Amino acid sequence: MRLDVQGIVKRFGAVTALNGVDLAVEEGEFLTILGPSGSGKTTLLKAVAGFEVPDAGTVRLGDRDVTTAPARHRNVGMVFQNYALFPHMTVAENLAFPLEMRGTGKAAIARRVAEALALVELGGYAERLPRQLSGGQQQRVALARAIIFDPSLLLLDEPFGALDRKLRESLQLEVRRLQRRLKLTTLFITHDQEEALVMSDRIAVMDQGRIQQLGTPGEIYDFPVTRFVANFIGESNLIEATAQGGRVSVPGFGTMTLPEAPAPGPVTLLLRPEALRLGAEAGAAACHATATVLESVFLGLSVKLRLQPEGAPEMLARLPLRPSDPPPAAEGSTITIGFRPEDVHVVPRG
Amino acid sequence: MSRILGRRPLLLAGGGLAGLAHPAIVGAQTTPPKPDRIVVNASGGAMNSIFRRSYFAAFEREHGIRVVDTSPVDFGKLRAMVESGNPEWTCTEIGGQDAVRAKEMNLLEPIDASVVDRSDYPDIARDSHILTASAYSTALGYRTDVFRDGSQPKGWAEFWDVRRFPGPRSLRNHPADNLEFALLADGVPMDQIYPIDLDRAFRSLDRIRPHITVWWSTGAQPAQLLVDREVVLASGWNGRFYELTRRGAPVATDFTGGSLKSGAFAIPRGTRQAYWGQRFLSVMTRPELQAIYTTEMGYPGLNRRTMDHVPAELHPLMCTAPENLEKQFWLNVDWWTANAAMAQERWNRWMLRR
Amino acid sequence: MSSPAARRERALLLMGLPALLLLGVLFAWPVLRLLSMSVEDGSLEHLQRAVLDDLYLAVLFDSLKIAGFVTVICLVIAYPLAFWLSRASKIGLALGMFALLLPFWTSVLVRTYAWMVLLGRSGVINRMLRDWGLIESPLPLLHNLGGVLIGMVHVLLPYMVLPIYAALLRIDPDLPRAAEGLGAPRSAIFRRVILPLSLPGVAAGCALVFVLSLGFFITPALLGGGRVIMIAMLIEQQVRELLDWPFAAALSVVLLAVTLAIYAAINRLTKGARLAS
Repeated sequence: MRLDVQGIVKRFGAVTALNGVDLAVEEGEFLTILGPSGSGKTTLLKAVAGFEVPDAGTVRLGDRDVTTAPARHRNVGMVFQNYALFPHMTVAENLAFPLEMRGTGKAAIARRVAEALALVELGGYAERLPRQLSGGQQQRVALARAIIFDPSLLLLDEPFGALDRKLRESLQLEVRRLQRRLKLTTLFITHDQEEALVMSDRIAVMDQGRIQQLGTPGEIYDFPVTRFVANFIGESNLIEATAQGGRVSVPGFGTMTLPEAPAPGPVTLLLRPEALRLGAEAGAAACHATATVLESVFLGLSVKLRLQPEGAPEMLARLPLRPSDPPPAAEGSTITIGFRPEDVHVVPRG
Repeated sequence: MSRILGRRPLLLAGGGLAGLAHPAIVGAQTTPPKPDRIVVNASGGAMNSIFRRSYFAAFEREHGIRVVDTSPVDFGKLRAMVESGNPEWTCTEIGGQDAVRAKEMNLLEPIDASVVDRSDYPDIARDSHILTASAYSTALGYRTDVFRDGSQPKGWAEFWDVRRFPGPRSLRNHPADNLEFALLADGVPMDQIYPIDLDRAFRSLDRIRPHITVWWSTGAQPAQLLVDREVVLASGWNGRFYELTRRGAPVATDFTGGSLKSGAFAIPRGTRQAYWGQRFLSVMTRPELQAIYTTEMGYPGLNRRTMDHVPAELHPLMCTAPENLEKQFWLNVDWWTANAAMAQERWNRWMLRR
Repeated sequence: MSSPAARRERALLLMGLPALLLLGVLFAWPVLRLLSMSVEDGSLEHLQRAVLDDLYLAVLFDSLKIAGFVTVICLVIAYPLAFWLSRASKIGLALGMFALLLPFWTSVLVRTYAWMVLLGRSGVINRMLRDWGLIESPLPLLHNLGGVLIGMVHVLLPYMVLPIYAALLRIDPDLPRAAEGLGAPRSAIFRRVILPLSLPGVAAGCALVFVLSLGFFITPALLGGGRVIMIAMLIEQQVRELLDWPFAAALSVVLLAVTLAIYAAINRLTKGARLAS
């Protein structure tokens, strides 16, 4: 079901947690709220789930206004950070709980519990208590409990935070598969940008109680609209430059003409580390400089370089590696670096 | 070497030897070294503060030894202390009926007549191991605003007469005194109470039982119950009522049929400072000090000259005043020593019956 | 070679050793003395009397009944109170705890007198009822079983409230939230989630209050007006007044055995609940 949030404001004393949030999640869409802690994303989730009533604004589920409806009347499934499985109930009892609350018959409950367990591949675990399960298994029980009653909306509150990396990655894919298969409208909360990029149809980046940017992972990555978004998503080189008469001059690197000329005055350019060129390729670029390699970090499939260009602040570069490639530059050596106008994105001010 | 005081508990451990060994020790002696303190155990509360002003102060002044007071009086603890071989108490008060038993159970040091002079005491108060410190009575307390101008019940037959003397009453939750009162109420003459006819006593108690609102268990209770008008008649230690009368509360005492007893002090056997215990008991026999205690507590000391030092207007309030003495009887300690356990068990059974 | 788990267990045991020693000296030893005293001279006579005599049986039964009443009344009062405290503001919590623990700081005599002022024949409550014309003659609120129950509940309430309060605090606040999100109304959240998860606290509180109740003797003596006899009162009588220590020991042994049996029963009943949390 479509979720439509409009103009939500929530204050706690002097602190404004949500400062006018507008957001729409389309039916069947997986939308991620990405932001650092304190950005307001958890408060937004609580307002949607029904655990907080906003001071202003509306929350609509489908064509129903649920702004002040209690959580139990919203039909929203939620997976909590620590799963919030009932410790005194077996896995099957946990799953049956929402169905019992809806007055589902005994036989139907048994059938649906079995189906849900099969769906999350925990067929043999019905009679276990939560503390007899591993973290990943608990997480899948929590997911099964959140979807067993056909919720209008699925909320995921940093559900992978407590898991180790490998398990996290496999569960991320599993959740995504499940969500697609069941066409669940999903709102996912995380502070992990990688997770957001992997899983989402669209991402809303939040900071200071507002949504800073809403778009597909590609849009957010390639065309961040604020320095905050540019910094928060992926690694970035933010270059301060000056625009004048259709050209942009970059201190230490020279001048270049951008495909779309920015307004005259100071501009911030975003250059992703993988777009920085090195060596001969760099010398041919419009903007280039000589730089010292401060640090070279081997990352398996790539190498990350920390560079000090002459007359400009430090920059990062990331170069793909094939197994047989020699290291591109030794620490302490001097190389030429540069970039092309089409690889640079002008970050709007404000 | 047997004269070393510290050896005495060892020598006495044989029990039977005690009587033999003792006179030899106190006979020819020099004063033992002074401890920095002795411990006197008594009932506590107001009593200990009066003790401090009278006996404790005199003892401390004369001997330069501090007196530490503890409470409450506890027969079980006395026995445990003596049996463990190192009593903490130098002297202790002992409840009236318990003194004889304590002596029989060999829990007490004999009193050294050369230190404790009781020539001014009546003969009955010169026990070999027990210093009879004062007399007290379980008497009938009443509200003077309910029973005006001498209209209070006089004696237990009238206390039992709920039609003539209506109102809630209180008696002690204990067989001692009550069995005697029950017999008196049933018409037994005062001199024929003992040996107690238990069946008759409990039959008599059956009659008053529905009219007792509170069976009290601590000495403070009957006084408080009268002050709060929780009851209008109560048995109680006469000193508790005396205190209320002196403070101007509408409470007075009727001694008719009162049960006289004596408060006793003694030295626990084997206490390290036994000599100073004797010294302390000797201080307790002085009439002018007894008078302070008598005046404050209403429990007269037994030295014949004590009353000379007590204001004359207080004499009629004392249980030992001649006109009061003749209305009361002395509780028979021997009977109680022999029958306490049996009487208590029967009392418990009777209380439990609903 | 010992596993890390075994080593940790040994370290824990070592840390608990001082406490165990203290318990051993201050508790186990006297209890053993008591046991041996009750069979003095190798005779079972005292124990037989304690177990078979209808007086002591009746008093023991009464004591268990009173302890049961006190436990149930405490539970009924304590649970809502603990629930409220677990959700109270800082000030509410401080005030509530103060009021709750106040009886610990007053002597039994002061407490008893306070109850007399309140509940006596001419006490505050009876006077009020009379002034309002609701009663003709004062109600007997004290010096009976009711008085004893009031006095004992007053003192023992904290022993019930605190374990329940602690158990309620230990419940993850996301659990009731999750239950609500899954569609549970308030009553179901309480019945299905909060109540079962607080049961270990309830069990601890009940065991504490029940066992402590059995040992009461001053409060029932003062507030019962002599009409209420508890087993501890008879033990005290035997120890302090009649000096029949072997029989006192025999009564104590019977009381101890009954107490342990009931404690074990409570433990067993709530084992499931404790396992789950």
